[in-house]
Amino acid sequence: MSPADALTQPALWPLSLIVFLPALVAALLALPIIPKAREEAIRWVALATTVVVFVLSLWMAWPTLFGAVGPAQFTVGEAGMQGVVKKPWIPAFNIDYLLGVDGISMPLVVLTTFLSVLACAASWPITKHVKAYHVLFLLLETGMLGVFVSLDFFLFYVFWEVMLLPMYFLIGIWGGPRREYAAIKFFLYTLFGSVLMLLAILMLYFTSDLRMLSPEQLVASHVVSPSLDAAARADGVAAIAAAKNPVHTFNLLALAQLGQLPKSPFAAVSVWGMSLEVWAFLLLLIGFVIKVPVVPVHTWLPDAHVEAPTPISMILAGVLLKLGGYGILRICYPICPGAGLSLAWLVCGLGVVSMVYGAFAALAQKDFKRMVAYSSVSHMGYVMLGLGVWSAVAGNEFRWDAWAQGVNGAMFQMLAHGISSAGMFFMVGVLYDRVHHRNLEEFGGIFNRMPVYSGLAVAVFFAGLGLPGLCGFIGEVLVTLSSWNYSRTLAVISAFTVILTAAYILWAIQRVYLGAEYKGPHGDHLTPMTGRELAIATPLVFLAILFGVAPQLIFNYVTPSVNRQVETLADWTRDVGAKAAQPIAGGPAAADVTSR
Amino acid sequence: MNSVVASAVPLFGLFTEPVSVAHYLVVGAILFVSGVACMALKRNALGVLMGIELVLNGANVNFVAFASPYLQGEGSRSLGLDGQVFALFVILLAAAEAAVALAITLNFYNNHATVDVDRADDLKG
Amino acid sequence: MDLASQLPQLLGLAWLLPLASFVLILFFGPRMGPHGRNAAWVATAAIVTSLVLSLVAFVSWLGVHPAVAAHHGGDHGAAHAAEEAGDHAGSHGDAAAHGEQHGEQHGGHAEQPPVAYSGDWYTLYEAGRLKLSIGWYIDSLTILMFVVVTFIATCIHVYASGYMHDELHEVTDHEVHLADGSHLHRPGRFPRFFQALSLFCFSMMGILIAGNLAMVFIFWELVGICSWFLIGFYYERKSASNAANKAFIVNRVGDFGMLIGLMALWGALGTLHFADAQVPGADGQVVSKPGLFSLVRPAEAGHALRVPDGMVKFAAAEKVAATAPGEVAGKVDVWRAEGFGNWLLFIAGVGIFCGCVGKSAQFPLFVWLPDAMEGPTPVSALVHSATMVAAGVYLVGRFFPVLTPDVLLVIAYTGAITLFIAATIALVANDIKRVLAYSTVSQLGYMMLALGVGGWVAGLFHLVTHAFFKSLLFLCSGSVIHACHTNDMRKMGGLAKVMPYTAGTMLVGCLAIIGAGIPFVIGLSGYYSKDSILAQALSFSQANPRHAILYWAVAGGAFLTAFYMFRLWFMTFSGTPRDHHVAEHAHESPQVMVMPLLVLAVLAVVAGWTLPGGFGIANLLEQSRPAGTAQTAQGGFAFGQTLTLPAEHLSHEGAIHVTATVTAFATALGGVLLAATMYLWRVISPAAIATIFRPVYTFLANRWYFDELYRAMFVRPAHGLAAVASGIDQGLIDPFINGLAWVTRQVAGIDAWIDRTLVDGLVNATASATWAAGLELKKLQTGSLRQYVMFIAAGTVALFVLASMLFRSSLAG
Repeated sequence: MSPADALTQPALWPLSLIVFLPALVAALLALPIIPKAREEAIRWVALATTVVVFVLSLWMAWPTLFGAVGPAQFTVGEAGMQGVVKKPWIPAFNIDYLLGVDGISMPLVVLTTFLSVLACAASWPITKHVKAYHVLFLLLETGMLGVFVSLDFFLFYVFWEVMLLPMYFLIGIWGGPRREYAAIKFFLYTLFGSVLMLLAILMLYFTSDLRMLSPEQLVASHVVSPSLDAAARADGVAAIAAAKNPVHTFNLLALAQLGQLPKSPFAAVSVWGMSLEVWAFLLLLIGFVIKVPVVPVHTWLPDAHVEAPTPISMILAGVLLKLGGYGILRICYPICPGAGLSLAWLVCGLGVVSMVYGAFAALAQKDFKRMVAYSSVSHMGYVMLGLGVWSAVAGNEFRWDAWAQGVNGAMFQMLAHGISSAGMFFMVGVLYDRVHHRNLEEFGGIFNRMPVYSGLAVAVFFAGLGLPGLCGFIGEVLVTLSSWNYSRTLAVISAFTVILTAAYILWAIQRVYLGAEYKGPHGDHLTPMTGRELAIATPLVFLAILFGVAPQLIFNYVTPSVNRQVETLADWTRDVGAKAAQPIAGGPAAADVTSR
Repeated sequence: MNSVVASAVPLFGLFTEPVSVAHYLVVGAILFVSGVACMALKRNALGVLMGIELVLNGANVNFVAFASPYLQGEGSRSLGLDGQVFALFVILLAAAEAAVALAITLNFYNNHATVDVDRADDLKG
Repeated sequence: MDLASQLPQLLGLAWLLPLASFVLILFFGPRMGPHGRNAAWVATAAIVTSLVLSLVAFVSWLGVHPAVAAHHGGDHGAAHAAEEAGDHAGSHGDAAAHGEQHGEQHGGHAEQPPVAYSGDWYTLYEAGRLKLSIGWYIDSLTILMFVVVTFIATCIHVYASGYMHDELHEVTDHEVHLADGSHLHRPGRFPRFFQALSLFCFSMMGILIAGNLAMVFIFWELVGICSWFLIGFYYERKSASNAANKAFIVNRVGDFGMLIGLMALWGALGTLHFADAQVPGADGQVVSKPGLFSLVRPAEAGHALRVPDGMVKFAAAEKVAATAPGEVAGKVDVWRAEGFGNWLLFIAGVGIFCGCVGKSAQFPLFVWLPDAMEGPTPVSALVHSATMVAAGVYLVGRFFPVLTPDVLLVIAYTGAITLFIAATIALVANDIKRVLAYSTVSQLGYMMLALGVGGWVAGLFHLVTHAFFKSLLFLCSGSVIHACHTNDMRKMGGLAKVMPYTAGTMLVGCLAIIGAGIPFVIGLSGYYSKDSILAQALSFSQANPRHAILYWAVAGGAFLTAFYMFRLWFMTFSGTPRDHHVAEHAHESPQVMVMPLLVLAVLAVVAGWTLPGGFGIANLLEQSRPAGTAQTAQGGFAFGQTLTLPAEHLSHEGAIHVTATVTAFATALGGVLLAATMYLWRVISPAAIATIFRPVYTFLANRWYFDELYRAMFVRPAHGLAAVASGIDQGLIDPFINGLAWVTRQVAGIDAWIDRTLVDGLVNATASATWAAGLELKKLQTGSLRQYVMFIAAGTVALFVLASMLFRSSLAG
């Protein structure tokens, strides 16, 4: 990495640092520099690292906060990829160290770094193998951040797997009584998904051919780095054009360009009666929806959450679930638009089923944490529905804005859920730390015992309920409103969920916080919140209110990128998709489009 | 009559012919067989050693017999003493062997107070 | 005076002040004086300032658009107002006073749209043509409602600062029994009450000022949660928290419908704004983006109701897909004529109405309101009688231009059913607050019915007058409860002597609610509003004979109202005390509580009057009458018949007016007399009647078994489904996953067995065979020298024999 690189790729060091600093510190911690016994020092080092990473990501995402705007920083309102870093990694397979952020990934990166700080602070009560815990925790952070910023499919996959392993140990060692079962369940579920993903990656890789792209597209997708001078660019383009054999690529941007070509190479190949595009879409979708998770592949979530320690639950709900939605948005739709169009009903259907099913299941839970876990399933259903509402079709005159609203809503919902669900899990954890049980039937009267805590907790739960003025509302309402243009039936069912959500959250609040007296064991341990707990809960509540009142803070980042992608795909639908509609059973709104 | 006997009794012709290589071979064979029989049947280690001597000497007779000039072809470039040289080697070897064997026997006697080879089954696998 | 920029500022400030008060009390409440006593002052100061600002706005409005006597037909008033608006809106372009643009083009018979100011403060989301924002829509209805809400809220803040004084110190809650049998002791929550009250005022005014349906929905939910806080104020009581949850969840059921309505509008039209918006166009010019009102009632169609283009295209999506892009616009009219989009508009209307059903406690979602009386009485007066529950009626009124005749018919019947059911339940209720609660439900039914039969002014007029006298009634009941420490009317009686002010003001309230007055001369506020509802219902029934039942429902309801209200009054105040323990403690309430009663009583009397010069609530409302509703209209498709919506001015004339007034008077008088015979003069024994009609009595006393029905129909199945969903996870998916794991383990076991037995076996067998062979061969090595020699000899011989037999030829050679 020569100094010249820093000039042409200004984000090289900042982005790489954001991703790898936690891993670096983890490696240092693993060395016997700080003795195992000095637990407090280890905690502080880990916390300091997460804070540094958070500040770095904030420096990148919000330049105006730090005064002068540098070239490495993020330009709010710009749709395209920014801060792209490109270094050859494994040249034999055209694998690059390719990082970059846009309006979709930047907020998620900041969310991740932010929640990592809070989760690290919430890790104080952990006393078992403190050193190992923090090493794994920091590794996990690197994995999560890497997934959000990598633009090379191979790199993406590597980070995806890197994230998996620390999570397994974090649940399996520091979890509750059934931790081993939960950890293995989580691991196998996710691994199953990622194996399918790997299959899809290889399918796409070996079908891709960069020679089909125009020079402009090659530069736009950073296959030929636009930071090079004109002559070098021309050389790069010429080298690809002159190649005798197909030039394969893992570059996500280039794959998207290929997938949206009128003669997409992925749609041209047929395997067992379906085009490769559909296969790849399905395989990737399975991989991602396991992470989201949607019904019926969601059962790892309640177990993992119930067993995981509080900070890990926060990370799990706050960040890990978002990876699935992010993957669908970043990878599935742009690369396989044809399959996305014909399978939109599947994505939406899964979303709606999750919403209703998760809400019903949450209503039945007796375990506080399990209830919150199911509420995550329900809330992430909105994300799926919002991503899937491909309403830019002929009958709608290819208008893209309703769909864009859905996707924007889904993005907002992901971020909002990142805050509210992390908050909810933390609130449950605060109670659990005191009374060591989570049975909803054995609480009550907490409001009188811990008024400040209860006030904050109720605010967080209301954010989950989707109360206006709190962050949960905007995403839900945008998604629900947008779904009508895709399918009336799904829209009505999704609107129905608001009743169930109110029911299970209010009922839980009633059983835990309201009432005259505490009914469970260890009542004398119900002490007020400590300063540390307050320092974790307050930012979450503050953000929940802030984003509920001023959603533009997020939309300023998200909307340009999302709109551009949706608009591109809507144009694609008009020019390509509508003409080559693939006959797959159960088209979107065939049944209820005739309402008059 | 002669021919009848000659056809009926193996090697009968030896008795009617002048001494030739074949007669030497017969003597060597007898010596060899006697030696083998002596080795197999004698239980005394010294007897066995004697049997070995007999076997070696039987072989020596054969060497010498086959070294006969009559058996050598016209174009032979050797001195025609190959058999005798081999016989001398064998005699030498037999002397060395007897010395070693007698030493073993002596030791065996010291250890077991006998020279009966049937008692010597220390080598049993 | 620049009304268009002044009004949003005034009302916006009035709207935000309670929010500021909420935030202040939230953070500093407990530190405001001893036990947070001064929180009441903060909240009251905020709401009083809001009232003043609203009054300033009111006066400003009147200065520009004076309320004049409506020349029957209302077009004069509206035309005049529009003219004024034209003058002002023409001089500044930042706010849209819509309507003046088309006035000249369609002169003659075309109606003018009402004057209204609208605009956006704040954008929540914007992409493409879609925009969700926080904005204002201000017409005379908005301002009137602002004044009413802030005024009543002020009264109630003052009243509550007296009523809630218990909360200033340690409270012993006698209704909560702890596990050890004692009563709950807890610190007072005086500031928290005012905190929630302030938040409620903010939310309520948000609904009133809302410039679009999304904003209505936002504040709709917020008032819901404020209501949850206030109903659940005594959250230690199980009944209170149950009632709070019930209220919110039942409201969410209505919101579910409302969301569908929003989706239908948003999906097809891409806007939720009421009024046209001025947006920057492509080339820097300001373009008018039509709002809902002008989409559904476009000026070029003479403000007649018409399915908007967007809905037609949406419903005819298949045809649009089959049509070349350029030709779509031309075919819209054809598709409209074929009926595309009718259902969509119907669904939109009914959907929005569903929200109103929940919030305004209409059939079938009225069950939450009586339970909501678990909250402190000032809350019942403000939230659950005068303002929040009126929000549904307000929204129907606001949304009126978009409602098709079919939707209006649905609304009318819903109102009729509600008013009848609630009135019958009120007949037998014994809890003083529950009687009032059912009376509220019933009166809200009246309003809905009035709107449904086309009485736009009548319905909203009743909303305003009802707000005054119902809050009065509730405050009076609060005063009674404060004195008696019980809600049960059977323990009261004879209180008029000890509580003269309360008794007197409550009598005024009762007279107002039954619409008492001297026919054709003068009356209390209810006299005017109720008469106009009755008249409009009669007018509607005459125009649509099949729906005559609506009129009878109103008339019968009037009789029932008179009966149960006076039953309440007689049972409480007249006669002799039934329970001496209660009577001994009874006393008149402190001045801070009595003052609001007197103020409200005055208003309950005069609110319906029209002053000389035309100033009156009805005329003020007439200014905001939606365009295209002043004339008799026909329409409807959904129920296979054409409906006629008679113009409202027709009901003020001739025979209809006379008949309605006489009917109202007669029914009210009948009701009062019957109540007097039963409860004042005791000529007929109520107990005897209850015994004679035992099944009916039980049925009514159990509130038509609605709670039980809903529990069986919805709550139980919901919990059942929840158990099923959870069960599927634990009984189906997890066992499946675990089963998969088990199968995998079994397969692994088989695999391991194959390894152990077959593969390993083969290898081991080879080894052991070799081993065994070695063992066998070992036996040959006996150690016997002689044997060895034998072997050598035999072997040599054998070799020779073998060689001579096998290699005979080579030996021979």
